[in-house]
Amino acid sequence: MLLRMAWRNLWRSKRRTLITLGSVAFGVWLAVTFIGVGENSYSGMLETGARLGAGHVTIQPAGYQDTPGLDHSLSDASTIRESLAKDPTVERAVARINGQAMFATARRSLGGALFAIDPRHEGAEDNVLLDAIVEGAVFEAPTAKQIVIGRGMAKKLGVGLKKRVVYTLVDEEGELVSDVARVVGIFETGVVEVDSGVALVPIDTARKLLSYGPEEATMVAVFLADHREAAEARDRFLGTYDGEGREILTWRQTQPELAGIIAMDRTMNYVFQILIGLLIGAGVFNTLLMSVLERRREFGVMMAIGTRPRELFELVVAESVLVGIAGLIVGAIATVPWYWFMRTKGIDISQVQGMQTSVNGVLVDPVMRLLLYPSSMVAILCGVLVLTVLAGLYPAWQAGRVPPVESLKV
Amino acid sequence: MNEPIVKLDEVTKTYPQGNQTIAAVAGLSLQIEPGEFTALCGPSGSGKTTTLNLIGALDVPTSGTIVVEGHDISHMSRAELATVRRDRIGFVFQAYNLIPVLTAYENAEFVLALKKVPADERRRRVIDMLDAVGLAGLEDRRPDELSGGQQQRVAIARAIVGKPAIVLADEPTANVDSENAEALLDIMQDLNETHGVTFLFSTHDERVMRRAKRIVHLRDGALDHEENRA
Repeated sequence: MLLRMAWRNLWRSKRRTLITLGSVAFGVWLAVTFIGVGENSYSGMLETGARLGAGHVTIQPAGYQDTPGLDHSLSDASTIRESLAKDPTVERAVARINGQAMFATARRSLGGALFAIDPRHEGAEDNVLLDAIVEGAVFEAPTAKQIVIGRGMAKKLGVGLKKRVVYTLVDEEGELVSDVARVVGIFETGVVEVDSGVALVPIDTARKLLSYGPEEATMVAVFLADHREAAEARDRFLGTYDGEGREILTWRQTQPELAGIIAMDRTMNYVFQILIGLLIGAGVFNTLLMSVLERRREFGVMMAIGTRPRELFELVVAESVLVGIAGLIVGAIATVPWYWFMRTKGIDISQVQGMQTSVNGVLVDPVMRLLLYPSSMVAILCGVLVLTVLAGLYPAWQAGRVPPVESLKV
Repeated sequence: MNEPIVKLDEVTKTYPQGNQTIAAVAGLSLQIEPGEFTALCGPSGSGKTTTLNLIGALDVPTSGTIVVEGHDISHMSRAELATVRRDRIGFVFQAYNLIPVLTAYENAEFVLALKKVPADERRRRVIDMLDAVGLAGLEDRRPDELSGGQQQRVAIARAIVGKPAIVLADEPTANVDSENAEALLDIMQDLNETHGVTFLFSTHDERVMRRAKRIVHLRDGALDHEENRA
């Protein structure tokens, strides 16, 4: 009966309740939008970062993170890759040789990063550079003397497709080693540092040049279905793939700058969410407190006929719970179409002045989209409900403290 | 002889007013026996309503003791007083004081719901009681859809449906016309005579005093004199 009374009490002041429900619904919309934009942005940056660098989890020689160089390598990288590829929790695993290199033509030279990859195992879904090829194609075989370079590098070196580029590396012995490769592909990511400073060569060609063994590489990059499972995956791999001079790192450890930027942005987002939450809470609090103060006499009567203070407290808490639930329903009705649009189509903000195309060298999607993980949805639902209940606690406590004899005089 | 339902012994209730203390009830001793139909009378400020509030466990005395059905309610906690009100007291107010969001049926049922009476029994008792006060067919109406007299009948039904030890009625006829006042008094008198419900009125109304079996006259918070008409 208290629940029935609580529901009817809400509609005694229809306009006030509708405004309150509207503010709760607006809060849900804002929370979904801000969390969704944030998660989509972080997820996009992470995926791009992973595809550009070292995957979600990286198995690499111990110490490589601090002093990266081609003198640090995994002699059994291919075996590790094959073993990981069979793990049901792993989407894909690729072996790579990453190192610094000099690129030169007859007239010009420049320094940059060289990624040696195996085209049989690594495609556009694993490597953002392959995905960004705008001219030509990726090399055909792991032994080909071919190279894929960025648009910026091509311009700086003054080369195009089918032209030859000399690249020079420092091998395990500290000796300079060089090879010549023909340009078969040119990529364009839009990130200046990447387009002008990165090149791809076949892994077996690099192995031969560096005198590496047939299974040797500098890292095995592991891709998971969900980047949030990286730490768990790393823990699971420990004991199997670490040791023997190897270490297992998550993307947070291999890309600490990106992790830091995301953490800072996420914190700002949380602060903003808290401020929105406080505003919504204040609205609900105001509605319920007004409602309680207006009903002092009624509460006095209810107490006179035997309602206990705890039951009055429960009545007002029930009203706040119903405000929360009704607000969530209205919010869901208003937000679902918006989320669907923003998830599937999004808004192109590439024309916005000052729009950043990259963060820490990682490409940012110019189309604003939303992404909500189930855990975020549950957090929003629970957060709004908890907020409305908290906002109702003081008015409920006030209702239970009404002295009946005083209230009946009102 | 029956134990008194209510026993007041040297009860005092004072209120601070500025630097002074005003005694609304001053050393009042009184007993209400089962089946009484008693009116508390007196001029404004004589302590009628305060006495009713004290007996009804809405307020606690400054000194003295109040015993309701053998329970000393003078020093009970708020929750304990609420339990006394729920289980032993029925209230009828001058301004009806029905819960506006509940129908006539639900207003009467509310008291039984508080007492955790099973739903089937609640339904039977509420229907019987609304019938007894002449509201059959109006069960689903909200207070704002009822006349003043009808609202007061709902209030009487609500006060009695829980089978309290005593019904305290504070000026129950003050807000209704003569015809309705007589009808309400008929109902309460009938409930007193046929069901043995004990009533204690606080009133100025001659019609109530005419029907009362006992009239307690208060003056300045103390007993002035009594009239026993039984």
